Amino acid sequence: MSLNYVVAMLLIALGLYCLLLKRNLIKMVIGLGVMTDGIHLFLISLGYREGGIAAIVTGGMLQDNAAASFASAAVDPIPQALVLTSIVINICIVALALSMAIWVYHHYGTLDPSEIRRLRE
Amino acid sequence: MIEIAPIIAVLLPLFGAFLIPIISMVSKRFHVERACSWFAVVILVTTLAVVAAMGAAVWGSGVMVYKLGGWSPPWGIVLAVDGLNLLIALIVAGVSSLVAIYSLVYMRQDTRIDLYSVLLLLVTAGAMGSTLTGDIFNLYVFFEIMSIGSYALVALLVAFRRKWDSVEAGIKYMIIGSLGTSLILLGIALLYGMIGSLTIADLAQKLGQVAASDVLVPLALLITGFGIKIAMIPLHAWAPDAYQAAPSSISALLAGATTTAGLYAMIRVVYMMFGAFGVGTMFAVFGLVTMVVGALMALTQRDLKRLLAYSGISQMGYILFGIGLGTALGVQGGLFHLLNNAIFKALLFMCAGAILYRVGTTNLNELGGLGKNMPITAGLFVIGALAISGVPPLNGFASKWTIYIAGIEAGKAIFSLIAIIMSVLTLAYFLKAINSIFLGQRPKRLQNIKEAPLTMLFPMMLLAVLCIVLGVLPSLGINLVAPAQGALMNQSSYINAVLGGI
Repeated sequence: MSLNYVVAMLLIALGLYCLLLKRNLIKMVIGLGVMTDGIHLFLISLGYREGGIAAIVTGGMLQDNAAASFASAAVDPIPQALVLTSIVINICIVALALSMAIWVYHHYGTLDPSEIRRLRE
Repeated sequence: MIEIAPIIAVLLPLFGAFLIPIISMVSKRFHVERACSWFAVVILVTTLAVVAAMGAAVWGSGVMVYKLGGWSPPWGIVLAVDGLNLLIALIVAGVSSLVAIYSLVYMRQDTRIDLYSVLLLLVTAGAMGSTLTGDIFNLYVFFEIMSIGSYALVALLVAFRRKWDSVEAGIKYMIIGSLGTSLILLGIALLYGMIGSLTIADLAQKLGQVAASDVLVPLALLITGFGIKIAMIPLHAWAPDAYQAAPSSISALLAGATTTAGLYAMIRVVYMMFGAFGVGTMFAVFGLVTMVVGALMALTQRDLKRLLAYSGISQMGYILFGIGLGTALGVQGGLFHLLNNAIFKALLFMCAGAILYRVGTTNLNELGGLGKNMPITAGLFVIGALAISGVPPLNGFASKWTIYIAGIEAGKAIFSLIAIIMSVLTLAYFLKAINSIFLGQRPKRLQNIKEAPLTMLFPMMLLAVLCIVLGVLPSLGINLVAPAQGALMNQSSYINAVLGGI
């Protein structure tokens, strides 16, 4: 279980490294994606429970004792909803960033941010 | 009816944005010109009216709570409006309606004005949502809507006019901005892991029982994330490029609405949720650094919009300084300056836009003697410049004076002294700008420049009148700010109203 957190932190660190130090817009966007995925993994691990069941109530589950055992076995559904929302947002960001990268590449013929700055001056 | 006002204020611009493509198609069929722009104006002015209507209820009886779907907190999402976010919502809705009126003419030559209107409404919806919501994750989502809309707006001119520096500024803004919002998400994830709740009021209540060292990491992540949005100094790299490359109407929107919403999120999270008045001193120091570096950088700029961008960063420093003092007077001055900053910053960017519209450049070296051609713009620019420099009897003086006094009362007289010196510097670089734009030798090719169109002048005049009115009658502004200050200093009424009966 703690492996999840280690991997999540590794992904965040790798993504951050890629975002800040790579000299290629596409790689920077990939880095952003990896970093967000690390955060998603972290969020989803928060709500996960070893051997847990889906938090969906079906018939007969809410009778006296069953409700308590359901509550103790079900995984937390909120992080899953959060991650779903966040994935959609991330898609928007990646799509917008890539479309801007296309504009840049058409005009400057390069994806290196420092090269672009040099060409402009 | 008034109970549903908070959700209406968010939904109006949100659904308005998605209606615009349809309206665009219909209006093309029937050859109606500028239908999309007018529709955006109507939507935003209605939003402003809805927010103003909430005012009576909030100022009268305290906090307004709207439960989405009837689910009560901490399980459901709530919209909670107290004095603080009502003030911010008023600023956001007011600035964006004026920007929409201004854009009627300013963006006229562009063919795809419908795209511009969609993004304008989306940014407003995001700012309204993150302002009015009482749920931290909801705040993040609306914050992202606002941010993505503003990245696209900054880069938009590349599609309209092949203005290549705007796509570069857009990418820069987007990379830095998304890093910031990712950090916010990580902070929220850590908080959720620790507390198991997402309602701001519930978090505020439960964070009080957690050891201070445990909340340090999420607090730092959230401050960094929101700090990027308001261009606090070590995190300001995107701001000058973005303000310069965006259409001037959008620069006004960024300076007046989105930074205001960002600052609101910062205050709400740090002060109300964490109750971390201890970090106030850090804010005061950051504010001081921000105002000094912003003012020094503004002195050396040769482009009017870059100069305004740095001066906007510098003003953000005053607000952080005032609020960071943590005393009643300091918070009052900071919030009052937040209101004033939105007014004169929007006014100045609109003036820069008027010059850009008529002359085609904002490079100070190429301008001169425009006072004869554009007397009204010149007058409005001078009012804005004097107001931002804190010259009496304009509104900037009232709020800056309050901040100085608060600094002295809080035992930080040195800080106040530096703030006063920076105010003089502000006056210096604005006098330089006025001198090289409106006075002096007029180049031959500027002989035939005309005054800006009336539709653009109207929102500018309105803002200038506000500058004067709030300056002559500062008590009016203080009365507007007092409920916000009260809400910030006394959070228990907010918590009780949201969690009431549980």
